[in-house]
Amino acid sequence: MAADELAYATIGELGARFRRRDLSPVELVRAQLERIEALDPVLSTFVTLTADQALADARAAEAALRRGDAGPLGGVPVAYKDLYATRGVRTTAGSAVLAEWVPDHDATCVARLARAGVVMLGKLITHEFAFGIQFPGHRFRPAKNPWSLDHIPGGSSSGSGAALAAGLVAGSLGSDTGGSIRGPAAFCGIVGLKPTYGRTSRAGVVTLSWTLDHTGPMARTVEDTALLLQALAGHDPADPASSRAPVGDYVAALGQPIRGLKVGVPRDYFHDGLDPEVARAFEEALATLRGLGAVVEDVEIPHIWDAWAFMAILLAEAFAYHERDLRERPDLYGEVLREKMLAGALVTASEYVQAQRLRARLTDAMAAVLRRVDVLATPTTPKPAPTFAAVHDPGFPFARSNMAPFNMTGLPALALPCGFSASGLPLSLQLAGRPFDEVTVLRVGHAYEQATAWHRRRPPLTPRGVIS
Amino acid sequence: MTLDEVRARMRAAGVEIREDRLELVRRLLADALGPVRALDTRAEKPLEPAVTFAAAGARGGDGG
Repeated sequence: MAADELAYATIGELGARFRRRDLSPVELVRAQLERIEALDPVLSTFVTLTADQALADARAAEAALRRGDAGPLGGVPVAYKDLYATRGVRTTAGSAVLAEWVPDHDATCVARLARAGVVMLGKLITHEFAFGIQFPGHRFRPAKNPWSLDHIPGGSSSGSGAALAAGLVAGSLGSDTGGSIRGPAAFCGIVGLKPTYGRTSRAGVVTLSWTLDHTGPMARTVEDTALLLQALAGHDPADPASSRAPVGDYVAALGQPIRGLKVGVPRDYFHDGLDPEVARAFEEALATLRGLGAVVEDVEIPHIWDAWAFMAILLAEAFAYHERDLRERPDLYGEVLREKMLAGALVTASEYVQAQRLRARLTDAMAAVLRRVDVLATPTTPKPAPTFAAVHDPGFPFARSNMAPFNMTGLPALALPCGFSASGLPLSLQLAGRPFDEVTVLRVGHAYEQATAWHRRRPPLTPRGVIS
Repeated sequence: MTLDEVRARMRAAGVEIREDRLELVRRLLADALGPVRALDTRAEKPLEPAVTFAAAGARGGDGG
């Protein structure tokens, strides 16, 4: 198994070692494949491993590095949520419906990372169609949380979060409709960014809800997240929602002081039902930000409770996307997912429109607050990861989300580690910013990360994948 | 939102949901539609649905 030092190297460190020639992409990929072989039978993060192609791509990256024309992410081992189309490689969406689908094209994000030089190790499990939970007996096994095998890794980008936490990949892609990048980031103790709606392309990514779906990077540090975003961001004519807003220099802003930046703390809604350990970690995070010179102040977001109307939009759009398959081959859907999606048929046209009107009102309200402060800070999730046993109860409620308000408003939102529960589960801070101001969000996140050591903790894995 | 209302909506939509899952669906819809039902549509007449960014023209991105 690859030594932890190598498995947990950052993308920046790997790039520097490649350029110094004291590590080769082929050597790294071999080590990562050995680590996956050792740990993944327990963690179940990969749906498809593309080992031969990865070694071939690593050899190509090595040659490019030798020639001096490697891309900015040359030789970096990544894997993708199995919602992203990959040419010639099965793309299941975690679903029996697409279990054997082999796309003839790459998703735009996959193509852009390939152009930047990454090496794809394979495809990572997602919750079924990015919405359902894999119940026992499902076609695909659920990923497990490397911090505690009894606890879920979050979803729907479950494999991405768990694989990063276990040191199986250096970077990944997730998708986020109501928190599916940030939730797994929170529960697995890694970093996830949902960029502004329109910043990164959705083309070639299986849809859950057109107006709420976002794509974005997941990594172990804020800098790595910024490096991935740099390769992903920019207009894509294949995505009707793609924006032509200028792309920032996401890496250059890191390391700049945050003295004087205003951090708004909306407590109404976001602190409802907060676990005491999460509350304590969050307040300590605010103290750290104050210590770095940020001005931290409470803010009120009018109409914030309207955010829950996001579920009406999600259900209606998901049903519209899946209607034919739900009616013609319902047996291919997990039964709890099927019933949630069928609930979308029960939302009336008028209710859908009213939910979109509430969304406009909330977007205006948040924009007004973000004229007074530079970023908003909230706990990413109100509680640490629940157990599999809890979520396998069909009556387990779809928890109110601290992340969904930023899907409703399209604002960029970053999740990063901010502590651990007494039982050793990761806790997470969420930072959200103005439209297309990922630069400031990442800058504040990076400043916080550099002042703390949470991102350096590793899950208690042994070479056999057993929690020690 | 009552179970009878859920059943009426199912009939209108032409879908079937297992009887033992109806309570789950009822709760999901009640939560999702709570803010919608609280909206005074007459008081908010100027409020239009959210729009997304303008379409970017011809298809064909860099996904190959």
